[in-house]
Amino acid sequence: MRTEAVPGAGGRDLGGMVACALFILLAVVALWDTTSMTDSDSYVFPRTVALAMIVFCLAYVGWQLLWPRSAEAGTATAGSTPRRVGLVLAMLGAAALMPWLGFVICGVVAFGSITVLAMYDTWTPRRLLVYPLVGMAVVVGFYFLFAELLLVPLPLGTVFE
Amino acid sequence: MPGFEYLLDALTPLNILLALGGVIAGTVIGSLPGLTATMAVAVLVPVTFSMAPASALILMGAIYTGAIYGGAYAAILLNTPGTPSAIATTFDGFPMAKRGDGDLAVTLACLASVSGGLVGAAFLLALAPPLATVALAFGPVEYFWLAVFGLTLISALSEGNLLKGLIGACFGLLLSGVGVAEISADVRFTFGSQVLLGGIETVSALIGLYCVPVLIDLVATPDRHLKVTHAPRGFRLAEALTISWRHKWNLLRSSVIGTLVGILPGAGGSIAGLVAYSEARRVSRRREHFGQGEPEGVQATESANNATVGGGFIPTLVLGIPGTPPDAVILGALLIQGVRTGPNLFTEEGSIVYTFIYGLFLATILMLPAGLVIGRYAYKTIVTVPKAMLVPTVAFMTLIGTYSIRNSVSDVIIMITLGVVGWILNRVGFSPSPIVLGLILGRIAEQGFVQAWIIGAATENLTGMFFGRPISLGIIAFIALSLFYPMVRARWVGRRRKIDAD
Repeated sequence: MRTEAVPGAGGRDLGGMVACALFILLAVVALWDTTSMTDSDSYVFPRTVALAMIVFCLAYVGWQLLWPRSAEAGTATAGSTPRRVGLVLAMLGAAALMPWLGFVICGVVAFGSITVLAMYDTWTPRRLLVYPLVGMAVVVGFYFLFAELLLVPLPLGTVFE
Repeated sequence: MPGFEYLLDALTPLNILLALGGVIAGTVIGSLPGLTATMAVAVLVPVTFSMAPASALILMGAIYTGAIYGGAYAAILLNTPGTPSAIATTFDGFPMAKRGDGDLAVTLACLASVSGGLVGAAFLLALAPPLATVALAFGPVEYFWLAVFGLTLISALSEGNLLKGLIGACFGLLLSGVGVAEISADVRFTFGSQVLLGGIETVSALIGLYCVPVLIDLVATPDRHLKVTHAPRGFRLAEALTISWRHKWNLLRSSVIGTLVGILPGAGGSIAGLVAYSEARRVSRRREHFGQGEPEGVQATESANNATVGGGFIPTLVLGIPGTPPDAVILGALLIQGVRTGPNLFTEEGSIVYTFIYGLFLATILMLPAGLVIGRYAYKTIVTVPKAMLVPTVAFMTLIGTYSIRNSVSDVIIMITLGVVGWILNRVGFSPSPIVLGLILGRIAEQGFVQAWIIGAATENLTGMFFGRPISLGIIAFIALSLFYPMVRARWVGRRRKIDAD
């Protein structure tokens, strides 16, 4: 299991250090949230974990400052960022609109959008015909599997009710 | 062998058909992200009411076994563990697939799963009552330390990033605290949002943290998902059998570890694969290749996680304490059938229990042909489907799979958000595995910690409660070993090399 990290200036793992600073902030927010809890059963564990996280983050930052170690080069900037953002937006959009438009419509639209985003080959007439059909088959097939066989109440869409 | 006469009862045509159908259905279900063994078994429970108890159990056991193995496909081919117990399968399975050995990895996983399943079932058959006492020896504090052990193991396995692994584990533990507190029912870390009231669902988080980053990277480049080799190589069964025979002790050791850890209710399934993987790496001559596509890693995890099926049934049948969620569903079905679990089950209801155990053997053996064929098909599909079809299909499966767990759109949005966070964290060197395991083990760790805290405070012996019990001390020793052994060993090897050079 290898992780990729972006090397920072001076051989330091700048990205890792920034992430540690954000984790410390998160731990402080968690500690602050526990002050509103009255029962010790609720706060004893999260407080212990938040404090441990702060200690580990400080240890990592201190380690990097004292013994800078160049991190492995990653592939952070390789590839198209607009396509990455587009994928996330398509998935989030489908999820957010599902209660209103229903599962099938959101599924078909998301499938179509992501197909366009992931398409690197030329659109031939055959692909223009086959890919939408496959998309429809996948969406309807899974709809049938989940809604009819596994009895999952997939949203039908309030717009059409 | 006890109850050997029931072997023939298990070998009726109906039972063979149920075992085969169950294994195929379970394997397919387990391979789809979001569809769990629990869901499959739960849906089938009403169907089993009309069956004889032993046949019903065989069907449910076969689905469970198949689903655990099916989780390996997504782990190997998509870097997304289908189930938490397949997390460690991604470590070497996905690198193998990336370099063009995905077919070999799938076949190795099948052989290892069959081995593990058989060993687990053998322990269940021969040693269930005495082994069940192990589960009773674990109190709250032991479960807390066991969860910590799992987290330190996975942190130590994050190569060169022990501190980052530990930070990720703490992040996962904090995420597990979102929502309503397990013991006191206080609302925590929701910041007034109703979306977060239900907490973060672990399988959704698993899908988000593993699958979404893969999709984000897949869509960004025209490169193929996996390296494709055009020469037809079939199942690569002979090659896989040779490797399996060469590492037979790894298979056996990992299967025994899986069975023993699987006996521990709740924690077993997630930790077994990690412990077996860690142990395989420790004793291997090729330990430096672990994490880069080492077949031994896939064997260790897959044999261990399938061995937990038999191991998990030990406390379920002998003590009535379900080891995993599917065990709980099967226990419920048993009670409806009028079977009362307990230490006397093996003597009073021998015909049902032994027929079921032999049925489990049967299902595990049938998993070999079924798993090889389905695995081959899954591999061919993943490598031949064009990227413009693969990415939307997998993305769509993550959406519907996550939604179906709790019928919640909020879970889908949380899953995508966690995926983006996981992708960013991965870029700066934080692996998703410690975060996911922290999230999975968080509830077990907190429950154990708080209960031990309450008992310790009441008896005015907090230190003794946490550090004074023999099993706890043993687990703490393993924790220290998992944290410091790699460092000590590296220093020792360095010193040896220096001496040799001088």
